[in-house]
Amino acid sequence: MQRPPRFPLIWVAIGAAALLAVPWYGLDDRLSAPALFAGVPWLWPLALPLLLSLCAVFGRPRPHLLIAASAGGLLWLVLQGLLIIHRGWTYAWLIELTGGSGPTQPAMGWGAAVYALACVLLLAYGLACRGFCKGDVFVAATLLVVVGLIALFVFYPVLCILASAVRDNEGGFAPEQFLAKLLSPSIWSLACLTGAHGCGVAWNTVAVAALVGVLTTLLGLAFALVALRTHMPMKPLLRALSILPIITPPFVIGLALILLFGRAGMITMWIGNLFDIPRSRWIYGVPGITIAQVLAFTPIAMLVLLGVLQGVAPSLEEASQTLRASRWYTFRSVTWPLIRPGLANSFLIGFIESMADFANPLVIGGNFNVLSTDIFFAVVGASHDQGRAAVLAIVLLAFTLTAFVAQRFWLGRRSYATVGGKGHAGIPAPLPGGLRIACYGVIVPWLLLTIAVYGMILIGGFVVSVGRDNTPTLEYFWTAFSIEKGVGGWFLSGSAWNSFIVTIEIALIAMPFTAALGILTAWLLDRQQFPGRRTFEFLAMMSFAIPGTVIGVAYILAFNVPPVSLTGTGTIIAISFAFRNMPVGIRAGLANLSQIDRSLDEASLTLGARSFRTLRRVLLPMLRPAVVTALVYSFVRAVTAVSAVIFLVTGRYNLATVYIVGRADVGEYGIAIVYSAMLVLFMMLVLLLIQLFVGERRIGRRVDVPPIDAPATALAPA
Amino acid sequence: MTIRAVEFRAVSKRYGAVTALETISLAIDRGTLVTLLGPSGCGKTTMLRLIAGLEQASTGQIMVEGKDVTLLSATERDVSMVFQSYALFPHMTVLENVCYGLRASGIRKSRAVELAQAKLSLVGLSGYGARLPSELSGGQQQRVAVARAIVLEPKVLLFDEPLSNLDAKLRRHVREEIHELQRSLSLTVIYVTHDQQEALAISDRIIVMSMARVAQDGTPRGLYEQPNSHFVADFIGDANIVPVVIEGRQNELASVRLGPLQLTLPHHGAVAGPAELSIRPQAVLLSRGTSGLSGRVERAAYLGSHMEYWITIAGLDKELFVIAQDVMAPLGVGDEVSLTFGRTGVALVPREHLELG
Amino acid sequence: MVSLHRIGRRLGGVGVAIGLSAVAFAHAQAQRQLVMYCSVDEKWCRAMANTYQKETGVQVDMTRMSAGETYARVRAEKENPHGDIWWGGTGDPHLQAADEGVTEAYQSPMLPKLRDWAQRQAERSHNRTVGIYLGALGFGYNTEDIKKRKMTPPACWADLIKPEYKGEVQMADPNSSGTAWTMLATMVQLMGEDKGFDYLKALHKNINEYTKAGAAPALAAGQGETLVGIAFQHDVIDVAKHNKPVAVVSPCEGTGYEIGSMSLIKGAKHLDEAKQFYDWALSVPAQSIAAPNGSYQIPSNPETPVPPEAPDLSKIKLIEYDFAKYGSSATRKRLLDKWTTEVKNAPK
Repeated sequence: MQRPPRFPLIWVAIGAAALLAVPWYGLDDRLSAPALFAGVPWLWPLALPLLLSLCAVFGRPRPHLLIAASAGGLLWLVLQGLLIIHRGWTYAWLIELTGGSGPTQPAMGWGAAVYALACVLLLAYGLACRGFCKGDVFVAATLLVVVGLIALFVFYPVLCILASAVRDNEGGFAPEQFLAKLLSPSIWSLACLTGAHGCGVAWNTVAVAALVGVLTTLLGLAFALVALRTHMPMKPLLRALSILPIITPPFVIGLALILLFGRAGMITMWIGNLFDIPRSRWIYGVPGITIAQVLAFTPIAMLVLLGVLQGVAPSLEEASQTLRASRWYTFRSVTWPLIRPGLANSFLIGFIESMADFANPLVIGGNFNVLSTDIFFAVVGASHDQGRAAVLAIVLLAFTLTAFVAQRFWLGRRSYATVGGKGHAGIPAPLPGGLRIACYGVIVPWLLLTIAVYGMILIGGFVVSVGRDNTPTLEYFWTAFSIEKGVGGWFLSGSAWNSFIVTIEIALIAMPFTAALGILTAWLLDRQQFPGRRTFEFLAMMSFAIPGTVIGVAYILAFNVPPVSLTGTGTIIAISFAFRNMPVGIRAGLANLSQIDRSLDEASLTLGARSFRTLRRVLLPMLRPAVVTALVYSFVRAVTAVSAVIFLVTGRYNLATVYIVGRADVGEYGIAIVYSAMLVLFMMLVLLLIQLFVGERRIGRRVDVPPIDAPATALAPA
Repeated sequence: MTIRAVEFRAVSKRYGAVTALETISLAIDRGTLVTLLGPSGCGKTTMLRLIAGLEQASTGQIMVEGKDVTLLSATERDVSMVFQSYALFPHMTVLENVCYGLRASGIRKSRAVELAQAKLSLVGLSGYGARLPSELSGGQQQRVAVARAIVLEPKVLLFDEPLSNLDAKLRRHVREEIHELQRSLSLTVIYVTHDQQEALAISDRIIVMSMARVAQDGTPRGLYEQPNSHFVADFIGDANIVPVVIEGRQNELASVRLGPLQLTLPHHGAVAGPAELSIRPQAVLLSRGTSGLSGRVERAAYLGSHMEYWITIAGLDKELFVIAQDVMAPLGVGDEVSLTFGRTGVALVPREHLELG
Repeated sequence: MVSLHRIGRRLGGVGVAIGLSAVAFAHAQAQRQLVMYCSVDEKWCRAMANTYQKETGVQVDMTRMSAGETYARVRAEKENPHGDIWWGGTGDPHLQAADEGVTEAYQSPMLPKLRDWAQRQAERSHNRTVGIYLGALGFGYNTEDIKKRKMTPPACWADLIKPEYKGEVQMADPNSSGTAWTMLATMVQLMGEDKGFDYLKALHKNINEYTKAGAAPALAAGQGETLVGIAFQHDVIDVAKHNKPVAVVSPCEGTGYEIGSMSLIKGAKHLDEAKQFYDWALSVPAQSIAAPNGSYQIPSNPETPVPPEAPDLSKIKLIEYDFAKYGSSATRKRLLDKWTTEVKNAPK
């Protein structure tokens, strides 16, 4: 008889410990007894899968039994959690069936989490024994754990939104209300076309998003063309530009625009005094939202299009020229068709980003509503209509997912510019003269605007009142960031410190998880074969297209009540960061893995190293650029995120961005701007430090990806 | 029953609708060097990766040393592989690369270093341990890859086109080194290549593959002299394929008519009627007499060690390619010649419906 | 307030606990705690929380959200409340919460000592909420702009619908702001529903933006982003205190008011601390914190000195505000829907 393998034995033991020794309910406060001692009979069957697993491991291995037992354990865990919650039976038909409100139980806690993990790993082991993932337990386990986490933290919440959309505010099933809300003229009205009323919020959103998509693409193209096809020294400038959108909290640009172009803005006042033009509020609404979003998202389009333009082999253009085509004809007949899919891609990214943007419309939208802000006010506004919020969220999700699917499937097959890193000889054709002048004409004013906006962000918080009273002052700075000496020593008395520190704390905690999740997923996608790999990839990348406001509402709906209750904790904020920013890690990981020859990991495997050792010893050392990218981006994006967390923050876990939006919302621009400037500077510092740190530790002779490309791969979803 | 080093039992491999291997059954003896030979896409690399455990068979069973490894992962199989790209870990030194497998199997460091050093000196690289792979030449990298594979003393050693990244001269040299190593250590080696010369030079046995199947399996000499198909005849060495008619069969032999010549050859399963004859260029003997087929020299080339001729024959719409050793008194273009055939190098192959590569 | 020492510990903890983040959140708090939802100005909220923490040693976790947001939060969390006390913010959402039973009844020993409007607020809600301050509605105008354009300063509600104010008046959206709801309800009570809506429709032509937050129009008037901003008078005074050229107006026709309230959240995890805070918040020292922090409402404890900047109640014509009617969900929903369709979505 063979000695039973160690892996399943260990996890059966851990599963048993979870039932016998770990508090089953509660995560931090009010911990309960372990499952088997909690006096809850419906938890007892959970011991059975563990016993069956033992039988399946001892003696002749019986992977079928192991699979059935562990899957059964998971199923029972989920079922009892969904059916029995804190107020009894979840579903009305169960109440009717049993004639009572039923048994109750609080939200699951550590015990349940550990037990679920044990079951998942046993299931992975059983499947691996049957040849799943080429019989590799580590791969199977990683895959199941990642899939489980995505299911729990992306799909379950989205399902909760769908479910709540068909309920009324009291929780009853009301499909006719759903239809009424879905078809409401406030969403779909086209009255603005006839001029009488405003249009529905869905059309507003689509119109702005399309406008922003077109404008960012054109501007991005102008930048990319000038950078690659003229002699203008653009490299350092482009690098700076490519970093800006990452470290800038999303609403800051809107704020700066108000201070510049608002009715009492600096430039408005100046021009008003000069020409005696009546000051107007033109910036509030579509113009403001569009300008702010174009400022924010153009650098992303630029990075995408730089990549696309670099992918056009110069030899093609040279060939065209040797065939007696003029420069303009070459551009029109060769270059343009080749970059067209890239343009569509850039348009869709701008479209999705604009749709998902929450903070700029909130700050500068005036009376113009878009879906993301409407969702917010449906929840927190005086009408308190969660059903409407859910319906709006579904509409928004439908738009972004459509764009996302279009981008992945339609464009995925049409990209001509996928030359696999092979160098092409030749010099890119210079731009035709007219086009070059047009590009300069667009870029120069835009750069001036960008400089004005960021200048305003940096100095706006240090004057009494921008435009009206430009006396320098530190008042706002001290209000936010003062340090005082009290009885117990120095302490941070400024109003911003608490949120600042909590933000960094949570961003730091989310950082390793985001990176690990992203890199592991990339590794699974690039290096492993398993059934449903395409679907898995699509689902993993999909969270890019779920707007933050939707995730925020979804998390409240899903995690406020048992079976999983996390609201009010810092954990849920960290989790929302991890899953929202995961695609960044996946992108970085995939880009890096594709440069590492597959035979390296195969060599390691045939040398007797398990896949875990292979990953740790062979791949991870070479994946370091991707790991660093993923860590940096997850940190920075966590610090600047606002849309999802605005629903999740609490007193103890108040975040910097939410604090700033709150200040800006009541018009306290001084503090908002000074705090934003501090955040921008802080993040610049972080990026610089990491650049220094990583710069010193380059490994081997591998050619690093030029830094300008890194954000492109990290941000571009396709 | 003797235990075979590797055995395939009705193994097939499919990727979706594409079949990479179609029901292969074969066995490989211990201590032999077997080559998998075929054009790209024939399934030879898939077969190698199935043995290594880098792919999993869709159906069938794979045995290594009598043990069923079909469901085992690559890690769990006692098989090592030398990759076409060598796959040396770029961030580890040569010594760390060679120690890697030993450390992964839990051997303590000092012992692992000792074993690794021994193997490095076996491949003539002692003293190179501290270098990074990128600091070695192609041939040296190749030898590190071999040392890294054999240090684990695997039951089976696999080579995936190991010479394709080397220049022509080095290739012959390294080829002989591998052959030498295999013989002195009595290793079971399975070697994938698409270069038929390489295969002929080192193999105990060659398995020719085509279109996901085994086309022919045998010794280098057997394959060269007695190809059993148009494909094999054409793929290994040069061959003139000439249409003929089988007039009768007797036991293993068939009588074939080619112009005025009557030949008696093993029939390899070909039935009476139209068939094809594979004629090696060396098997054609040229003379100025009239005893055999009469032909005419169309072109001639002098290659130093031998002559090459292209000869037309009346009634045959194809030129015959002929190699002659006599460089002292070569034939000239336009000369009338008489053709006869040597005892080896002429084989009957069944007529194929499809013209293959 | 966060001490440097604590930050050092926390950040150090981050380094260690990165792999065990969940545990990092789970560290048990032996200290007494109070989770406070605060719906007034940030500065006042912070001062209240800090002072209470200083005086009692109870650690206060304060979240500032508008009254509407807080109400939504309390409702959403009713199955599993995280907050203990909801302090401040206009009275209507407090009454609604009381109506829905998501807040807890509590009769403070301080109750009889309060001004009668504060006590009436408690009666209305069956002691589920109590008044802590009174703020009258009004508007502010930008004095510099008025001077520059040589206009007479507005004094009455009726002035605001004059054509010269076209695009110059700002108010909050009653759908999201309690302040604006008070304004809507005031007009309906002052003029009757039909006339009130006629007024609002006329006003709509002059409105440049319906802001989200109630205090925003006051600030906008101060900053010159709008000529007139409709808001609570104490919000306008706060802006004026910050050297902004804005003057407060108490409309001649009379005006409505809000009763800033406080409620205990049902199912509070720190009920004792919450009750202790409740009593303290009605005391003179607690209510005196308002004025130094830029909030000039009328405090509910009559012994609290009324700040000199506060609008003089004797000069304000307060209407008989029917909190029971205009605090009820049904009336609210009906009027808001009517306002949204007939006023907000109307062409200008």
